[in-house]
Amino acid sequence: MVVTVLGISGSPHRHGNTETLLDSFLDGARSAGASVEKVVLRDLTYSPCRGCNACHKTGECVVKDDAIALFDKILAVDCIAVASPIYTMGITAELKGLIDRGQYLWARKFVLKTLFFSDDHIRRHKGLFISTAGQNWDHVFDGAFPAMTAIFNGTGFEYYDNIIANNMDEFKGIKNHPTALKAAYAKGIEVTGVIEKLKGS
Amino acid sequence: MTIKVLAFAGSPRRNGNSETLLDWVLASMAEDPVVSIQKVPLTEANINICRGCNACEKLNKCVQRDGMDIYHDKIIEADCILLSSPIYCMGIAALPKALIDRAQVFRSRKYVLKLPVIPPERKGKRLGVFLASAGQDWSYVFDAAVPSVKCFFHVIDIKNEDVSYLMINHVDEKGAIEQHPTAKTDATNLGKTVITELKKRLSA
Repeated sequence: MVVTVLGISGSPHRHGNTETLLDSFLDGARSAGASVEKVVLRDLTYSPCRGCNACHKTGECVVKDDAIALFDKILAVDCIAVASPIYTMGITAELKGLIDRGQYLWARKFVLKTLFFSDDHIRRHKGLFISTAGQNWDHVFDGAFPAMTAIFNGTGFEYYDNIIANNMDEFKGIKNHPTALKAAYAKGIEVTGVIEKLKGS
Repeated sequence: MTIKVLAFAGSPRRNGNSETLLDWVLASMAEDPVVSIQKVPLTEANINICRGCNACEKLNKCVQRDGMDIYHDKIIEADCILLSSPIYCMGIAALPKALIDRAQVFRSRKYVLKLPVIPPERKGKRLGVFLASAGQDWSYVFDAAVPSVKCFFHVIDIKNEDVSYLMINHVDEKGAIEQHPTAKTDATNLGKTVITELKKRLSA
């Protein structure tokens, strides 16, 4: 069975550092035989979560837009790679807007108890966070991790790994980073292999 | 003396817990006749997300024409800036994150173009307040929101030590904050403390 990988690019800036890093990961996965698709959030139309909590009663979001179709897609693949640059110490508003819209899945899991991911399901579904930051601080990604944990938990993915590179301002871009692009490519191969093995077992 | 207060209500849900917290602080501030308050619900502010184009590093302004044309100037004029947000998915909600990211123009002005954000005589005479509510009862539920908030105030020339925080966890359903044992008192006291401090600094 072919491993399916979905890359989600949360940068408003096309083909910048983060999307380039995501592309390298996806290329690695493709080279290992995965079926790869990339979604660019900038091209989609969706509004932020309204906090109306209607989903706590129905398990459905009252807002019908591109976010719902994307969550359907996320739930159907083996691996998601969620990418965002760090803006003001966090993920972009674009990606945060999408993640917040996953509230209806949280409601299904914890309020209505109509959605359940088994340990086996979670083990077979891998989520990765891909990010770059201009700052050279080590803690520059810390504000992003909890939101990533939220989306991976909500959609039934194991938080498999981070592919992150800081100090872009000094490197003058990801292409000048000594290891990041190669590491991302290798990670794409690695995770495809891991999932393939799990699917075969 | 007039103290200009600019308050951004960041929740997509109007009159929920974080906005109630904000309203308590504002009501306490409003008791002082020198205080002039403008409250801006971000649901009505028409602030687009940052496009990451970095044009502001050259132009000293944003290429987007939207609500930020108004709020950019108001942020500079205000003596006190408040921001409220609920915690969604362990972070600040997307609407206030959009406002914070659009403060990039101030960051470019300050660090790339090396131009002043506010006139020197107003430095140290502005205060910031961040108010948040969260459904979860975890003590660390606000941790990821705070660094973004610090960045926001930092680039508009409000120092870390001049930012006050009131963050209330374990309030989820609309109105839950009304039942909180200390939130209203703390908010009321915070409003008074901030105005007293501002008066002191502005008359210094």
